[in-house]
Amino acid sequence: MTDSAVEYEIVHQSARRVSLRASLHELAASRECLWSFGERYLRLRYKQAALGVGWAILKPLALFVPFLVFFGGAAGISGGGTTYAAFSLSALVPWQYVAAAVELGSNALVVDGNLMRKIYFPREAPVIGGALSNLPDLAIGVVIVLVVAPLTGAQFGPSLVFLPLLAVLISLPALAVILPLSALAVYYRDVKYGIPLFIQLWLFLSPVAYPITALPPRLRWVMALLNPVSGPLEGFRRVLALGTMPDWGLLGISAASASVGLVFGYWAFKRLERAFADVV
Amino acid sequence: MWAVRFEGVSKFYRERSWFSSLGGEFTNLRRHIGARIRRTELEQPGTLALDDVSFEVAPGDSFALLGPNGSGKTTALRVLTGITFPSEGRVRARGRVGALMEAGAAVHQELTGRENVYLYGSILGLKRRSLKERFDEIVDFAEVEEVIDKQVKYYSTGMQLRLGFSIASHLEPDIFAVDESLAVGDGNFQEKCITRMRKLITGGTTVLFVSHYLPAVDALCNHALLLNRGRCITQGDVEEVVQSYVELLEHRRAARTIDDSMPIRVLSACCRDQDGVERRRFAPHEAMQICLEFEVAYPIDDPKVVIGLSDGRAVNVIECSMLEDNEHVCSPRLPQRWECRLTIDELPLKPRLYHVMCTVHDATGQARLFGWENVATFTVEGRTSPEGLGLVAQTGADVAVDVRHRWEFLT
Repeated sequence: MTDSAVEYEIVHQSARRVSLRASLHELAASRECLWSFGERYLRLRYKQAALGVGWAILKPLALFVPFLVFFGGAAGISGGGTTYAAFSLSALVPWQYVAAAVELGSNALVVDGNLMRKIYFPREAPVIGGALSNLPDLAIGVVIVLVVAPLTGAQFGPSLVFLPLLAVLISLPALAVILPLSALAVYYRDVKYGIPLFIQLWLFLSPVAYPITALPPRLRWVMALLNPVSGPLEGFRRVLALGTMPDWGLLGISAASASVGLVFGYWAFKRLERAFADVV
Repeated sequence: MWAVRFEGVSKFYRERSWFSSLGGEFTNLRRHIGARIRRTELEQPGTLALDDVSFEVAPGDSFALLGPNGSGKTTALRVLTGITFPSEGRVRARGRVGALMEAGAAVHQELTGRENVYLYGSILGLKRRSLKERFDEIVDFAEVEEVIDKQVKYYSTGMQLRLGFSIASHLEPDIFAVDESLAVGDGNFQEKCITRMRKLITGGTTVLFVSHYLPAVDALCNHALLLNRGRCITQGDVEEVVQSYVELLEHRRAARTIDDSMPIRVLSACCRDQDGVERRRFAPHEAMQICLEFEVAYPIDDPKVVIGLSDGRAVNVIECSMLEDNEHVCSPRLPQRWECRLTIDELPLKPRLYHVMCTVHDATGQARLFGWENVATFTVEGRTSPEGLGLVAQTGADVAVDVRHRWEFLT
């Protein structure tokens, strides 16, 4: 018998209280499991697709064209200091990351329901891993934005170093939504059908097709608070299209609000987690 | 000292059919509120899979969970591994718990064998580094070297199962819970699995084992627990518990309704020794008489009885057939009740548990008058050879037949 056997004791009991500290501790201990789920989803994503990773390039460009034609051309929304092409692409890429993460993360437990009935692993691992497995696509998208900059007229500068920070900050609100949704999806398959609608609605409430500067200054921070993807989206836009620093005020408000949401989301997930294997 | 400890564990699976509709949800809510107001316990539909189960497993022990289908064995393992939570009581485990609930459950069809080893292994809780070290060992054990970079969907079923078992069994946990997994694969692979389990046990791993395959239980486990309908019936040494399990099965069989469509039924069945005393335990190479009492629904001309002995596997170890022997039941017209006795002068069997199987055919051997049924059970105990030490080579090849034999060495 190894020493590790004496080191700790596992207890499963019927108590209903959720200890966030213990949960986070366990999650940290099994981070490799989380990365493996991420890698698994990543490897599975473009398996047996003729275009393969080409899809990661095609997806942002495909939405970019109608945006350019309808909003920039027909609706005549201004680029807020830059061309509409640069303006829309710079926010579309991070938005598509949020949309893909929500879609994949929320369904992760249902997709891997069989696994959940047969094996023990921290239940949030596939959810978070699935969501974060979209980060490479985000990176590819950002590279595309930079590559096509001569065509779109986007400007960028040293503020590009904040991109990783922005990627983290935009993941927070996504995870805050994904965790409770994925838990709910185990109980109700309705979630699966509701999510595309939800994402569409969220898109309209986010400064993707329009600039946040379209709102009066007093309302901007309200938007950053209530919809915490706004701050990071505006940040991406400033860095990738205007070449200026992110708006730290809006970013801070969004980050704070997203963090609170994430704690609640995680707590809800842990509350619902106990019966997962029984109902999935 | 214990490695695993169940303390009054109950598990109630709630029936969740009402979850499928919103309307049902509201009805349910109303019932809940109603019960709250009237201060009565709400009676919930569902099944009690475990009912106040308590037991302990010592560190390094190999422990079997026995019981008929639906007795709660798998639920016990699920609660132990944390897949599901107990409704009441608590489960404590000292050390890392590894489980093999279904070989190949997590092997993903679209991924290659190599990807599966790393990703499945790490989902099970193995560190990437130790996976890298053991990679060759895992692949070697699963016998999939040539196809390791192919997608698993192109593997045969056997290969997938082997890969799944191999990854899970290289976890090297402190406590290993295995559910029925040894029943998969061909004989060759079963043998390998049993050898692997033995290695884990001798290496100090605590093993909890669920299986219906009694020879494997006998071969691997020291202690056992018998469950029936979620309740703990007995626990103790594996021989005693296996004995109680067999009695429980026999009891259930007796209570089972008889197939009325068959014209013959067995009223009683027993095994006797040479003095005519009814017995359940025999020594190797002892004489044995199997007595069966039949009742026929209508007169039958010259029925042919076939009696087989099985050690739990699908094929009989020994078969005695009136058809083959060209035997006839003496009286020209059979009475409604009659008895059949089969004497085996010398029981050529190794120590383990055996089932007496019986079928009756018509005179031509074409029509079956009584199905293959397990009518009685007995064990063979003791040593096959008086001077022998009773050691068994760890080949895992469980051949049950033991012939009188002698060795000669010529140099």
